[in-house]
Amino acid sequence: MSALWPLAGIALALLGVAAPFGGNAYATGIAFQVAMWIALAQSWSMLSATTGYISLGHAVFYGIGGYVAVLMVDAAPFPAVMLVAALAPAVFAAVVGLPVLRVRGPYFVILTYGLAELVRHVVMRIESALGSFGRMIFSAPSPDALLWWMVGLAVAATLGAWAVRHSRFGAGLAAIREDEIAAETLGVPTARLKLLALIASATIPGAVGALAMMRTGYFEPGQAFDPVVSFTIVTMALVGGTDSVRGPILGAIGFALLSEALWSNFPQLYMIVLGAALIGFVLFVPQGLSGVLDRKGGRA
Amino acid sequence: MVDTLLSGQLLFAALVSGSLYALVALGLNLVYGTLRLLNIAHGDLVMIGAYVAFWLFTLWAVPPLVALVLAAVLCAGLGWAVYAGLFRRMLAKPALAKRVEANSLILFYGISVILQNAAALAFTASPRAYRWLDTVITWGGVSMTLNRLLTLGVAAGICFGVLAFLRFHLFGWGLRAVIQRKDAAQVVGVNIERVQLITICAGFAVAGMAGVLVSMTEQITPFMGFPFTIVAFVVIIVGGLGNIGAGVLAGFALGLVETYGIALTSAGYRSILIYGIFVGVLMLRPEGLFTKAVRT
Repeated sequence: MSALWPLAGIALALLGVAAPFGGNAYATGIAFQVAMWIALAQSWSMLSATTGYISLGHAVFYGIGGYVAVLMVDAAPFPAVMLVAALAPAVFAAVVGLPVLRVRGPYFVILTYGLAELVRHVVMRIESALGSFGRMIFSAPSPDALLWWMVGLAVAATLGAWAVRHSRFGAGLAAIREDEIAAETLGVPTARLKLLALIASATIPGAVGALAMMRTGYFEPGQAFDPVVSFTIVTMALVGGTDSVRGPILGAIGFALLSEALWSNFPQLYMIVLGAALIGFVLFVPQGLSGVLDRKGGRA
Repeated sequence: MVDTLLSGQLLFAALVSGSLYALVALGLNLVYGTLRLLNIAHGDLVMIGAYVAFWLFTLWAVPPLVALVLAAVLCAGLGWAVYAGLFRRMLAKPALAKRVEANSLILFYGISVILQNAAALAFTASPRAYRWLDTVITWGGVSMTLNRLLTLGVAAGICFGVLAFLRFHLFGWGLRAVIQRKDAAQVVGVNIERVQLITICAGFAVAGMAGVLVSMTEQITPFMGFPFTIVAFVVIIVGGLGNIGAGVLAGFALGLVETYGIALTSAGYRSILIYGIFVGVLMLRPEGLFTKAVRT
């Protein structure tokens, strides 16, 4: 039954914000942001919350998805664009996955960050070699259509994260998090499970990146691969709590609304709040918001 | 092309950036070696040192050599605050220490984001620079500005000074003992807590001093620090985590590779080169060097 809770939460949050204002551009924008961060944080949790391999580089999947979508969108039907945008980062994850996932602990964290930055600089180099300094998107779907695509991704990511946690696959990932060497000794195919988790975790962010580029109508590689995206995902997930599927939802809703209040006028202040929240929660509330709620509600 | 590659000019440029990389990495390596904390905010201390030098020079015409001392004191103070405020309590409790070590990178990333954005809020994001000692002198056919020569001298001096201290001073022996084996060092009477506190202050101070040196020749922005963090990571991973002497050599080596790599291609490839080396080194040598260091 616990799977219904987060889904109901998403649906209520989004409908609550968007429906009464049907056609209100501002409300659509907020709902889009909330759904986007839920989709990203849930995808991140499929790898990082389950295995403890904390990725600080999910912007790379988001950016790759956005990039291929922008290259394709004027020439292909939209569903095909979304499909390729989701598959491209999955392929990238499959290619780099094995060597990257051999690296453990804090080295994995900085490696993901460095890899994302490397891809960002390579794409920037390619774009400037092509003589392109930002691409305009002319054939993007309407904001409302984009919102429903994004809500679909948020629901899919939440269902996916729930399914991963409650499967044999998820049990294997949890064993990796608790003690990878012991898991391997007991016959858990750790390398394969980690790779599958990374691929699963990379797919939806690619589609999210595509929608985000369509929404802004503009692609610029420095922005599409912005490390702030990775950082925001990690902060939302850790503040929300990584022990359950609703943690990332709570974190994403909270920070998306906070960003709405602060980002446009005080971007630096918003980032300082993010940093402080990250430190505070890691040190003092490691179970996150959802853990606090569970304790209050008497569930352990 | 070959003439450029063989010129003393290029070698001098490589040595200057190499000495800075060695210095920045030295601080990171000291902190990692003794505390096992990966400080991803290390480059932001370079940024703070650079702003200290910029404001002192611009507002009161204080020469950067004086700023060197003040930046060191300020960053050492920050080191003390981070250690006393965040990590002492955590490291003292084994149950928490396990978690904090695993999460130390995330914590320092939070600190890094705060420092960068606080600097952007206070000083705006616009790049700043000042001119000091930029007279060109020519020596043996190589033209160099005095401030670059000074950078090379001071950075190399601090690096080798620290190495000598670690080799010949009793406290330096204690510090190396903590790096090699913390429990055993404690058994033979090394005051771990004191070594850790002094090391984090010294590591932060060295980064601040590197920032002052950088500010003499490069633009200063709130976000200038992160590339230095990455460079320092490359250097200490190549040189060996906690291996201070090899780290200094690796710093100079990276300066050479970077300078000659850019000379062969173009400045636009600098980031790709640095991140490429970083990713390549981490992927190719994930075992050995790293796991040994992680599990202690």
